[in-house]
Amino acid sequence: MKKRWYGSALLILMCAMLVFTSACSNNNGGNSADGGTKAPAASGNNENPDREEITIDVFSMLANYAGEQPGWFAKLVKDKFNIKLNIIASNLAGGQQKIATMMASGDLGDLVVFGTNGRDYQDAIKAGLLLDFTKDDLLNKYGQGLLANAPEAIEANKKQFGGGTAVYGVGFDVGTGEGPSEGATMNYGPNLRWDLYQQLGSPEIKTLNDYLPLLKKMQELEPKSENGRPTYGISLWSDWDGSYMTLAKVIAQFHGYNEGDGLNPAGMILTHQNKDEWQGVLDEDGYYLQGLKFYYDANQMGLLDPDSLTQKFSDVSNKIKDGQVLFSHFPWVDNVYNTPERTAEGKGFALVPFADEKVTSYGQSPYGGNRVWAIGADAKDPERIMEFLSWLYSPEGVMEANYGPKGLAWDIDGSGKPFVTEYGWKALPANAEPVPAEYGGGTFKDGTNQINNTTLKLTNINPDTGETYDYNLWPSTLNHNPDPVTKSWREATGVMTAKDYFVKNNMIEVSKPFFTTETPVTVPAQLQQKIDGIGKIIKEYSWKMVFAKNDAEFNKLQEEMITKSKGLGYDEAVAYEVGNAEKMVFPFR
Amino acid sequence: MPAKEKFTLFHFINYAVFAIITLICVFPFYYLFINTISNNDLSSRGLIMFYPKDLHFTNYMDVFKIPGLGQAALMSVGRTVIGTILTVAASAFLGYLFTKQMWGRKFWYRYLVITMYFNAGLIPWYLTMLNLGLTNNFAAYVLPFIVQPFFIILVKTFVESTPLALQESAQIDGAGYFKVFTSIILPLITPILATIAIFSSVTQWNSFTDTLFLVTDQKMFTLQFILYRYMNEATSIAQLMKQSTGAMDLDLANMATPTSIRTTVSMVVVLPILLVYPFFQRFFVKGIMIGAVKG
Amino acid sequence: MDINTASKTMVDAKSPKRFQSKDKYYLFLMALPFLVLAFLFSYLPLYGWIYAFYDYRPGIPLSASEFMGFDWFTSMISNEIQRQEVLRVLRNTFAISSLNIATSVLPVIFAVFLVELRSTRFKKIVQTLTTLPNFISWVLVYSFAFMLFSVDNGFLNNLLLDLGWISRPLNILASDDHTWMAMTLWSVWKGLGWGAIMYIAAITGIDQEIYEAARVDGAGRFRLMWHVTVPGIMPTFFVLLLLSIGNFINNGMEQFYVFQNAMNTNHIEVLDLYVYNIGMTNSNFGFATAVSMLKSLVSLFLLFVANSMSKIIRGDSIF
Repeated sequence: MKKRWYGSALLILMCAMLVFTSACSNNNGGNSADGGTKAPAASGNNENPDREEITIDVFSMLANYAGEQPGWFAKLVKDKFNIKLNIIASNLAGGQQKIATMMASGDLGDLVVFGTNGRDYQDAIKAGLLLDFTKDDLLNKYGQGLLANAPEAIEANKKQFGGGTAVYGVGFDVGTGEGPSEGATMNYGPNLRWDLYQQLGSPEIKTLNDYLPLLKKMQELEPKSENGRPTYGISLWSDWDGSYMTLAKVIAQFHGYNEGDGLNPAGMILTHQNKDEWQGVLDEDGYYLQGLKFYYDANQMGLLDPDSLTQKFSDVSNKIKDGQVLFSHFPWVDNVYNTPERTAEGKGFALVPFADEKVTSYGQSPYGGNRVWAIGADAKDPERIMEFLSWLYSPEGVMEANYGPKGLAWDIDGSGKPFVTEYGWKALPANAEPVPAEYGGGTFKDGTNQINNTTLKLTNINPDTGETYDYNLWPSTLNHNPDPVTKSWREATGVMTAKDYFVKNNMIEVSKPFFTTETPVTVPAQLQQKIDGIGKIIKEYSWKMVFAKNDAEFNKLQEEMITKSKGLGYDEAVAYEVGNAEKMVFPFR
Repeated sequence: MPAKEKFTLFHFINYAVFAIITLICVFPFYYLFINTISNNDLSSRGLIMFYPKDLHFTNYMDVFKIPGLGQAALMSVGRTVIGTILTVAASAFLGYLFTKQMWGRKFWYRYLVITMYFNAGLIPWYLTMLNLGLTNNFAAYVLPFIVQPFFIILVKTFVESTPLALQESAQIDGAGYFKVFTSIILPLITPILATIAIFSSVTQWNSFTDTLFLVTDQKMFTLQFILYRYMNEATSIAQLMKQSTGAMDLDLANMATPTSIRTTVSMVVVLPILLVYPFFQRFFVKGIMIGAVKG
Repeated sequence: MDINTASKTMVDAKSPKRFQSKDKYYLFLMALPFLVLAFLFSYLPLYGWIYAFYDYRPGIPLSASEFMGFDWFTSMISNEIQRQEVLRVLRNTFAISSLNIATSVLPVIFAVFLVELRSTRFKKIVQTLTTLPNFISWVLVYSFAFMLFSVDNGFLNNLLLDLGWISRPLNILASDDHTWMAMTLWSVWKGLGWGAIMYIAAITGIDQEIYEAARVDGAGRFRLMWHVTVPGIMPTFFVLLLLSIGNFINNGMEQFYVFQNAMNTNHIEVLDLYVYNIGMTNSNFGFATAVSMLKSLVSLFLLFVANSMSKIIRGDSIF
């Protein structure tokens, strides 16, 4: 009895083993095909029958998807270039550690997207892991789209990173023209529950602190959410904290300051967007400490969500969705509340800035931003990858890579103007709307471009249509059936979009593009270690201060935070960063 | 245990305590499970507590539609089965060898045991694997797991506590080491081998770091890797937020997978272990040894 | 009556009789392939310890990297505040490790009592279900803990408020009271059933005849448990104990990482987490290697000390 049982178990296991060893060798076979040896094109129905299908490894430090690109974008790239994209996402595979192993292996894949132009990018150049675009005249032969649409970005990259001769990459968000580069809304709010604000008679808000009594009244007006859960003025989360409490830093961003200096890695200083002014994070009268005080006061008034410290962003997002939160730092965080059902009832979030606000805005920069597109040194078929990249930088590529093939979610009308189709209203920006099979199938959301880096700034004017690339700014969109909340907001403010409001009232600080030949610094490892140690202290004490029992405790904690940070080398870090900013940034803008 | 023993106070307390412990251990699972089969809206608002509401199974349907899931499941099963067989066989054999007078026994035993206490770090490990050709290669899932000092120690300890008489009698009969191992030792040590099999299969089933760093070919993704991706999305978004000194207008709704799907994936990944565990429990039966002695 | 009668018949591995000298090479040859594997996967990568002396950046050859000497080793204690930090971290590490070692006896008790359950089916159910927590990742454990203990809608707060036992909700997760204890409880919850598996296996390995003989001698249930079952699993227990002493300074970091916040960081930050917090977020591989090298040496030292102690006290060592 027992023996027979063993026997059959053994037999099953042996069979399984056989199956898998054969499956494994098959995989290896398939692998080498993926790995570059050109397999004959399988199907004849593509537009380039003369070209063999290739799969390229796209190593993206920004992607939030790993594996083969699915859906409509895959179909698009396959039809146009006969290329399949295999996306490797470091963020989903160990973050910095994954990047480190890729660098150590000496092979970064075929197409590479760097999250910043800092240390990793510079090390990759130094280690010879990136292809020089000018090699074999690649850029001139196959990169016409790049040369036509991002000439200054290429030139800037050459001066900054290529010693003036080689081009190892090109920055993202390449812009043209003047003014803020944001779309209809800015990156920062603050947004409030518009319906409650209106019910209270739209009181004027002069300074940041004026929000607190207002929020108190709003809370009294609506003490419970639709599900009977308590409402909070403000709900915070800690999982985005770096070297300090991110949401306290946002207060500086309401005042025209931004982290870092716009070129070098951010650390312990905040600089003004366009004036040569800076603050240390721990400056007594600086915006960071003001931010902490603001949240502390909110907590004293019973406005702060007591779970702020222990919850994650996703928890807050759920609370906002449920209507438990009345204040939002970012417009792109509260849009989960504004469902069609709620806005039909007049309920929703909308921008309610304070009079002293100077919102931080990023200007259009022809030199591109600090996320870099590059090509791996060992890329097979660099010509075809260059063609693909060049297409991504062309007007057609920008439209299709972002919003799908023409005719699906968007189209051009008789007068040459773009509009969002009926399907588009359901699918954009990235809803789980099924995609017809002829466009690649799946859902619109899954099929979006998963590389997750942009090329041209979406607020640029598309030369083909005369409108922006960003569909949110098309006249046809702005006039498309605005919901009651938006309508009411527009009537009250007299402008169409949040951006217009800030610009019209001169409540915005736009960064000016500046050209430098200086390479962004890479912080020496020992100093970086100190900064990380200080950051740990600052984060710990910041949250303790927010939840301090009384003013005395708040002040005591603040003192301790400053003493300890200085003991760990805070002043040294600030001096280093200010030195860099004064040498490399301030003179050039 | 005598069958006619009375049900005493001892038994009552014993049953009660174990029942409570079991409940405490099961509740989180139960809780996650009822949340995956309840209305997602209610569940995301934390309104599902003790029993499911608005029963539905769309979460499971959605999860089974995740592309590549079937392939990943196959890969997970493959590495678990093959890896476990190899690990158990090697541990049993080595554990037995180390009870024998082999050349430099003490030295080699220590040579293995101390490997549990040092760690070269990620990069050297990765480069070693790369140079051994173990990237995008199924062997990377099993080869490094074959020699497990911890299991070898367990087997050795176990073998040392079994009666020597059997081995001796077999050796007098002229059986070689291998013969003694297969016909005498193996049947004796099934309980510990079952333990090792459980440990090893769970390790295999649960491991994903090797996939993270060594595999880019999606044919070789495992279930745990897919789960890890979902569980890690929030961290990944946070990472993007920390990096982004430029535009922050990321479409978060697009990037995050609903909590319901993430929870469901984690249920789907755990359930197979639960089904396999009772299979191994058969070996935990008192008296196996006596049977072996008499047979 | 105890297990001594059994141990008399146990293998005395050191007994030289009936082994011929050429056999030992034959045995070694059989083990050799496995020793080679261990070399490949465990010893070969150790060349990477050299990174501890450089400002190593992946991809860039060492010859082009800055030589740091022992700077990474000393960087953790280079000034007064840092020394205080390290002391604090070590205190947490020792406290949590000690508690973990103290609670390592719980799975033994669990196993001993589990086999006393009469219903085989109930036994199997308990055995299976108590291993469940081992299978959930710490990330998931935290999200579960948050559902249970959050202020806003936590299960516990709702319950206590409904019962009227408290008037204001408790913020358990953002509290630094009994942090060490709480962490220990979480790991006990997660590892109890799982840790008992090995002991259950050991118990099933005990010769039934010893029980029979003891019963004939008139031993009751508790005497059987104490004089037969417990001695039967002691070898396993001691082996595991010694191994865990070697791991005294390795707490792992995942559990503490998910539970840490500004309020409890003072007591929750163990060595592994500390190193992660200051080294790995910016991938400082030189520093991380230096620490892991130090830790390996300390672990090996502890292991050998524990082993020799065991030899002196119990007359037996694990290796």
